[in-house]
Amino acid sequence: MDKKKVAFPLFSHYNIFIKYFVEKALDAEYIMQPQMTRRTIDIGSRYSPDYVCTPFKITLGSMIEALEAGADTIIMSPGPCRLGYYGELQEMILKELGYEFDFVNFSEYYTGYIKDMIKAMRRINPKASVPKITKTLAESAKIIMRLDEIEADYYKNCGFEINHGEYKKNWTKFLLAVETAENMRDVETAYKNAKKKFAAISISKPKNPIKVGIVGEYYTAVDSFANLDLAQKIADMGVEVHRWMNVTNRNLRYRGKNLRVDIKDYCKYEMGPTSTANIWSARYYASHGFDGIIHAKSAGCTPEIDIMPTLQNISADYKIPILYLTYDSQTSDTGLDTRLEAFYDMISAPSMHAKIHTRKISSK
Amino acid sequence: MQDAYLGIDIGSISTKGVIIDNNNRILASTYIWTEGDPMGAVKKLLRILQEQLDEDNYQVVASGTTGSARKLIGSMISATIVKNEITAHAVGTTTLYPDVRTILEIGGQDSKIILVENGIAVDYAMNTLCAAGTGAFLSSQSKRLGVEVEEFGQIALKSEHPTQIAARCTVFAESDLVHKIQMGHTKKDIIAGLCHAVANNYLNNVGKGKKIISPIVFQGGVSKNVGVVAAFKEALGCDIIVDENGHLMGALGIAILAGRSANHKLFDFSVEDMTFKTREINCGQCPNNCEIICIYRDGQLIDSWGNRCDKGSLRS
Repeated sequence: MDKKKVAFPLFSHYNIFIKYFVEKALDAEYIMQPQMTRRTIDIGSRYSPDYVCTPFKITLGSMIEALEAGADTIIMSPGPCRLGYYGELQEMILKELGYEFDFVNFSEYYTGYIKDMIKAMRRINPKASVPKITKTLAESAKIIMRLDEIEADYYKNCGFEINHGEYKKNWTKFLLAVETAENMRDVETAYKNAKKKFAAISISKPKNPIKVGIVGEYYTAVDSFANLDLAQKIADMGVEVHRWMNVTNRNLRYRGKNLRVDIKDYCKYEMGPTSTANIWSARYYASHGFDGIIHAKSAGCTPEIDIMPTLQNISADYKIPILYLTYDSQTSDTGLDTRLEAFYDMISAPSMHAKIHTRKISSK
Repeated sequence: MQDAYLGIDIGSISTKGVIIDNNNRILASTYIWTEGDPMGAVKKLLRILQEQLDEDNYQVVASGTTGSARKLIGSMISATIVKNEITAHAVGTTTLYPDVRTILEIGGQDSKIILVENGIAVDYAMNTLCAAGTGAFLSSQSKRLGVEVEEFGQIALKSEHPTQIAARCTVFAESDLVHKIQMGHTKKDIIAGLCHAVANNYLNNVGKGKKIISPIVFQGGVSKNVGVVAAFKEALGCDIIVDENGHLMGALGIAILAGRSANHKLFDFSVEDMTFKTREINCGQCPNNCEIICIYRDGQLIDSWGNRCDKGSLRS
């Protein structure tokens, strides 16, 4: 039997671990579609319902580009918000357009039992062995953690490099090295190399740099194409950028209940896929000497609209400015640049920046 | 010879310019319509400013641009500083009103709120995605009602029972307005209703979750409309300051920033006589198809932008 040609819509740097898993555990071929461009959004929006959130449109566009690149099987993740229903609708749209392919929607198998997940994977390869799957899952988790760790390091420091472009060059090299890794030894070598390379880059960072934390809707806050390179734009102004939200923190090590203990004075229940995580990280940034917080979401994202009043309370209690950004399928950076520039001017004003170090950490 | 600083604020509807001295005193100022031609408007603006300026005693040593065409005009006049309008407005207003706590601003296509503490901006918000309740909305409705937008305010003040108009969205507001006209509401009540709708829409959207503390300064083109000012006073229950130079705050702010910055360069008014041309080209080297704007002075490329990566970069 021919190997399946599997693809997953692009999401930040995570397609790298999916590729590793598909090739190693399922012995299938992985198709990496080209980087997303204006066209991805155009074709995605053309075939999407108008009022659906932007990640739906972008992932649909990315699926089409994967099919064009030769994929015959598309996998889609489950999700704790509307995302959980998106796969079904996207499959219908694509099949009505005439594309012929297998759609493995993990939402349908997401029961909490590993045996159901195995069923989904056996649709890609009926002979996939369980021990191999579990072993590769553990390895994939390791890859995710390595990628996320280096990425976090990148955004904390790239804004302070002396020779412009050094961080970017090494970050891209690292991504390529992990993508082409044959085994975990290669991944570890790439990781150690990246660490070494990053440490060797000369930076001029003040003792108390301006620090900004990014929170928001999962896809838009994390994917740099969806948020018009938000983190890079702020970092380039000479800012240390933090973002708690990533697969390592939100999925692999996530303990929602324990995070809620810390924020029980702000919220009691989980309000959606990322509300606990976002309120928790906003509180963390506010009480740990950050200069500002940026909240990014796609238009019409209900869970993120719901947490905005809580963020406003945090902003008032800790006197920390929060910039709210709403993304739609528009691709002009002009409005974003104006807002970010003004936000930076505000938080970097000497009197504002000095104040945060004397800001009282609320006792409640 | 004393130093002077030039500030230009190029908005979607109007272009504003000031020249100030070291004490932030206005030496020359003017306000003209952009009329979809920012470069032409700026040439005209510079001519007017030059006529007002006492060139025997003052020389312009720094220049700044702000507003939506700041980048274009910045390269055109070789400005020493180019800054966004939010920062410029905050700087301009806090210089004239050091005690201000809240700045409300409604312009031609955008609206924003800036919260100030001890003379520095501590929080701001800007309208997202849609232009409901801005100047553009008011002027399109004035055409429908056959009234000059400048008269709106005075007419609104005459009304005792402003009509309720939904202003959450321009399209809905318009159909609501047509409906109310057909129902027989009087023109003055409808106009007053529109003014209320603008104020309420602003407070519910841009001002949402922001603590609005007095003293409050209201500026931007819409602040010239006394009907909207009255609606804000009513909704907020306190007095609102509208400066007669409110429309110049952005230009003033950027002139002050130009003066403060270390980057000074003698300004040459001869740009008035140069020819400027912009050309749009499609990069076409990847599906992004970036639209690159090239700007030429007397036929020579002086700047370009719009490319997302180095593939599309053009050097002057």
